[in-house]
Amino acid sequence: MTATAPVVAAAAPKMDPLHHFHVTKYLDFDYLGIDVAISNSVLWMWIAAGLVLLFFHLAFKNPRIVPGRLQSLGEAGYLFIRGIVDDIVGEKGRPFFPYIFTLFFFILFCNLAGLIPGSFTVTSQLIVTATFSLMIVGFSFVYGFYMHGTHYFKFFVPSGVPVLLMPLMIPIEIISFLARPVSLAVRLFANMTAGHTMLAVMFLYVVTLPWWGAWLPFGFTVIFTGVEIFIGFIQAYIFTILTCVYINDSIHMH
Amino acid sequence: MIASAYAATAEHAAAGSGMPQFEPSVFQHQIVWSIASFFVLLYLLKKYVLPPIEKILDERGGKIRSDLEAAEKSRQEADKIRQDVQRQLAAARRLADQTVEEARLEAAKYRDLARESLTQELAKKKSVALAEIDAAKRAAVAELHDAVVDIAMLATEKLIAKSMNKNDVNKVVQEAVAAIQANPGKLQ
Amino acid sequence: MDATAAALIGMGLAALGFAGSGVGLGVLFGKAIEAIARQPAAEAQLAKYIWIGMAFVEAVALYGLVVAFIIMGKA
Repeated sequence: MTATAPVVAAAAPKMDPLHHFHVTKYLDFDYLGIDVAISNSVLWMWIAAGLVLLFFHLAFKNPRIVPGRLQSLGEAGYLFIRGIVDDIVGEKGRPFFPYIFTLFFFILFCNLAGLIPGSFTVTSQLIVTATFSLMIVGFSFVYGFYMHGTHYFKFFVPSGVPVLLMPLMIPIEIISFLARPVSLAVRLFANMTAGHTMLAVMFLYVVTLPWWGAWLPFGFTVIFTGVEIFIGFIQAYIFTILTCVYINDSIHMH
Repeated sequence: MIASAYAATAEHAAAGSGMPQFEPSVFQHQIVWSIASFFVLLYLLKKYVLPPIEKILDERGGKIRSDLEAAEKSRQEADKIRQDVQRQLAAARRLADQTVEEARLEAAKYRDLARESLTQELAKKKSVALAEIDAAKRAAVAELHDAVVDIAMLATEKLIAKSMNKNDVNKVVQEAVAAIQANPGKLQ
Repeated sequence: MDATAAALIGMGLAALGFAGSGVGLGVLFGKAIEAIARQPAAEAQLAKYIWIGMAFVEAVALYGLVVAFIIMGKA
């Protein structure tokens, strides 16, 4: 590096594309030694949840046999999740439908609310996605035991494999099971983080380039915001599908 | 985002250059609140949102089902009516066929009857005519016989009345024959 | 070598993981187009699996990005 580089870097405005992932605690609360502070992350969780409720409230304010536009959309969302649950889990998945429904719409609205300028993307917090994924995988594990008892350990013994290979296969199965919450959490977190980081970097180019060059990254951000909406949908969908797959595994083994 | 990217250089310097997501001090309250938010949202959706959706979908399903059932019922009714009509039509056709056949048979019967009676009548007439002819023939024969007897008697009378030569006899016979020829009715 | 410089190099190397994702996307969409060309009627059904597959493949690249960010935190 030449000596001029740090000088140029210091002269340019200091920028941080990861800044909008910072969690800022607005109010510090402590309940029995547990940190229950209200931060921007928590606030946007509530906003997303409120938007879910508002959407369904408006859609089904006065439900009709022949649905209007918003009601059609709400029904499409309902039937979409019902279709996923019925396809993957089947009849035994009915009791879990409200959970999966809530999970999908919570994550979807967190993803989409994160695209509002100045907002906070809750699902870009690894700890939030990890909480959900651990809840899901932990629940599927416990439910598997509840359904099958110690028989559930067979889950880690692949069928149709010679006994000689068992010492190799069983650890692989266990590792792949343990990798489930990690991959589930990291997939959502990394998608959201990467998308928003990309947008932030492009916006930095918009403000640092002169006007005749700025339109290129600006146009890119416009297109990429559309892609981000799509990714928000896809990731919520994937998260839901994998949840259904894990619950199905614990019900029907494999 | 532009504003936030520009902002807080000092804060950034304090927080270090790592990802804000890996900052352990903000973990605990997010875990607590994400679980809490999830279950509160679950409760609210389960209580206030899912029932109306399920109700309206069930209603629509019920309506569609009842509509389909009604359509099926009216279809079956129409089917029944159609079958009825077809049955009636077939019966009518059968009746018409039967009538035509009966008429045909009757006509044939009448024709046979007529032919038979005609044949009988002809036969009767023929036999009557034959009888008449026979009678006439017999009458003619009898008449001839009478005529011959008459002629013989006349001739005998003449012979008896005066002796005659051959010429006279011949003349008398000729007269008698001429008389008979002139007036055949006299012989009877 | 300076630790910071090594970290920067490491971050750059982490971006190499994107190549695998690129190969994956190429295979995914290539096969998908092939499948749709063979069986155009199945497009709607295939589209579902294409998008799910795309999300999975993309996630692999993003794991690399996360590694880069983790290195950035250590530097």
